[in-house]
Amino acid sequence: MPYLEMRGITKIFPGVVANDRVTLTVEQGEIHALVGENGAGKTTLMRILYGMYRPDAGEIFLRGRRVEIPNPQAAIALGIGMVHQHFQLVPSLTVAENVELGRESRRFFLVDREQAIARVGALARRFGLAVDPTARVADLSVGVQQRVEILKLLYREADLLILDEPTAVLTPQETQELFQVLRRLRDEGRTLLFITHKLGEVLALSDRVTVLRRGRVTGVLETDRTNEEELARLMVGREVKVARRLQAASIGEPALRVEGLVVRDERGLTAVNNLSFTVHRGEIVGIAGVEGNGQRELLEALAGIRPLVQGRIWLDGREIHHLPVRMRREAGLGLIPEDRTQEGLNLLASIEENLAAVHYYRPPLSQRGLLHPAAISGFARKLISLFDIRVTSPTAPAAVLSGGNQQRVVVARELAADPSLLIAAHPTRGLDVGATQAVRRELLRLRDRGLGVLLISADLDEILALADRILVLFRGQVVGEVPAEQATQEMLGLMMAGHRPETLQADQEAR
Amino acid sequence: MNQVTFRWRSPLFNIVQALITLAVALLMGALVIQVSGKDALGAYRTLFTTALGSRLSIADSLLASTPLIFTGLATAIAFRAGVFNVGVEGSLYLGAFAAAWVGFTWTALPGFLLIPLAFLAAGMVGGVWGLLPGYLKAYLRVDEIVTTIMLNYVAILFTSYLVNYPFLAPGLANSMSPKIVPAAQLPRLMKPSQLNLAFPIALLCVLALWFLMRRTTLGYELRMAGDNPIFARWAGMPVARTILQVMFISGFLGGLAGAGQVLGVNYRFVDGFSPGYGFDGITVALLGRNTPLGSLLAALLFGALRSGGSTMELFTDVPRDLIRVLEATIIFFVSAQFTFEFLRRRRALQDLSAS
Repeated sequence: MPYLEMRGITKIFPGVVANDRVTLTVEQGEIHALVGENGAGKTTLMRILYGMYRPDAGEIFLRGRRVEIPNPQAAIALGIGMVHQHFQLVPSLTVAENVELGRESRRFFLVDREQAIARVGALARRFGLAVDPTARVADLSVGVQQRVEILKLLYREADLLILDEPTAVLTPQETQELFQVLRRLRDEGRTLLFITHKLGEVLALSDRVTVLRRGRVTGVLETDRTNEEELARLMVGREVKVARRLQAASIGEPALRVEGLVVRDERGLTAVNNLSFTVHRGEIVGIAGVEGNGQRELLEALAGIRPLVQGRIWLDGREIHHLPVRMRREAGLGLIPEDRTQEGLNLLASIEENLAAVHYYRPPLSQRGLLHPAAISGFARKLISLFDIRVTSPTAPAAVLSGGNQQRVVVARELAADPSLLIAAHPTRGLDVGATQAVRRELLRLRDRGLGVLLISADLDEILALADRILVLFRGQVVGEVPAEQATQEMLGLMMAGHRPETLQADQEAR
Repeated sequence: MNQVTFRWRSPLFNIVQALITLAVALLMGALVIQVSGKDALGAYRTLFTTALGSRLSIADSLLASTPLIFTGLATAIAFRAGVFNVGVEGSLYLGAFAAAWVGFTWTALPGFLLIPLAFLAAGMVGGVWGLLPGYLKAYLRVDEIVTTIMLNYVAILFTSYLVNYPFLAPGLANSMSPKIVPAAQLPRLMKPSQLNLAFPIALLCVLALWFLMRRTTLGYELRMAGDNPIFARWAGMPVARTILQVMFISGFLGGLAGAGQVLGVNYRFVDGFSPGYGFDGITVALLGRNTPLGSLLAALLFGALRSGGSTMELFTDVPRDLIRVLEATIIFFVSAQFTFEFLRRRRALQDLSAS
């Protein structure tokens, strides 16, 4: 008898079948991976299991008994726990307080702190989770905070733990540590459901895999008997050509030069600290780093959205740090922002209007303040065919496009301005496998055409596949620069945690 | 999933939705009349005939619509740009006074100069008045709802001071300015109705604003900034300048509304003359979905209701206040729709970022 069985689950949102007769079987004490592209229905299925959505059809069996899960409280009562992508912790409280929150051990109406610390500490030791129960959550790294989330579930005696893309926010080392924890939990008899779209992780961690594509199950596999290619094919439905840089860069003149850049974040804290680097024409420079180490502030400062505290920026030898966004763009800066749905596009406006957004104010699209609708349509049509954007109508709002096509709109618009330097921030985030490769191939083509590309990405695979040089950002500073040929996942991972390359070498020599 | 959550609305859909809103409001109104023991069907029949039953009643309805068209447009352009200007009433008062001042001061000018001059003065004064909160919002991020509401009082009380002291018409008990010269008075279009040249001017403004919003770079900028100001900034649009321009145009149209009443109906500035035309513009713009054409239709509707309502009171025992009930119901549904839309959009964005 399987531990969990979801049978014929169907969930329909207006216009979209998110889950179409999905059957998922999970055995007691296994790590089961649920993989699929964005929009394949993984999150919907898990939300149904956790009581956040009601299915339109289908049944759920737990240990052979049919169960109704109307809300998350019911799920918790049944021993189902979920670690969300966004942690649900109170930063100002300690680990022990967070774990016990809502279920405090009491003595005469007072919270018994001593006992809480002791119990949480014991629980952490039992499952091999290195966490100090007296530490304040705000002071903990993301990886440790995640362990607190897991601890919370264990404290509530969850037998089935659902982890929604748990590695998205972790460094490679933290990911390894998480995997150890998860294996230990499995060995202790817990059952784990692991949602991801990273195939390497599936192969490294899981016992069995269920693959979803467009709301349907396309495969249930033993991890030992499958490989990355097969999984990718099941996810995408066809063979996928992988983009990878082949020849070395033929480096030209400096396109972007940054010197002594200091930028503050919203709270007035220094987010980018004395940063200097150069991007030449014909090369891709990758900025690697765990998110929240100054990437966002760097991007905004380069774009002209955020003021500099100090420092200078040159584009093609011309100083631009005092210029507003539009004049920087006119000087040759192209921008693919982090969040295409907010910063990159106006989802309510038409595709045409989105494509015209950085060109509309100049001839031939307008003259003396008057728009030329025909010229704008023509301009849009040209870009749509040039960049192979799949649209029903150029006057439909950008919101109707798929993520990949939305990103194509952004890329097409930025390249139509013929920039000398393109800044691409997380250009493939949230895109499916096919669209991801298309965007990466485009970036490589641009490099070969002699553009400078600054690639900001939290995805090490992406950085390693594309960048000619890699800068690792940690707490607003570059901890090291590595040529692509010498870079490895492990080395970059350590640097992302703040280790300098010199000390890495020294460590190795000492051994 | 974003295909689902951001549904595209065709113009037809908007019209149907507005009609449904109207129908439900009329139904609620009928309920109110019936509950208070009166004949709802009869009241509506009277309302209809007094609003639209004859050439003259139609003219009166159009007359009542005229200031609402101006203030509706003034509000629509600001709201469309994401600037919540609720200070049209203030611009209207200042514009009205400016028009009156031109009309009773430059008495020697001929009408074809005096009338455009009066309108222009009204628009400029109203527009410049709008620049003040516009500047505060664009450059200092001061919330425009607060500033425009407060500045309404300043404008209204300032004009009140002007006609109570320096420009008080001699020999009159009420607080009002001297009368404007006949040359400045707008020609009547359909006597004995007071319908006058201000109405076609309002229609011209509808066309002009449609052109501005659809065919100019400023219109493009204001629509983009209204939908998504973050996007507008990343694209390099001059968002602060756009806010200033929009506030000027909004105030300008508010000023024209005041001028239309002074030059076409009252022939002088009367202290506190507006029954809230500026605020009615908010309802008009919302019902008209912040588009020029929609605002025109909404203004015509409200004009007819008002004009019909005041006559209805004379012929039936249904009080004019019923019209207020109808308007309030419409406002209720429109704002409920608005809130619902807003929440749905925010939910959609959250879903997008969570998935």
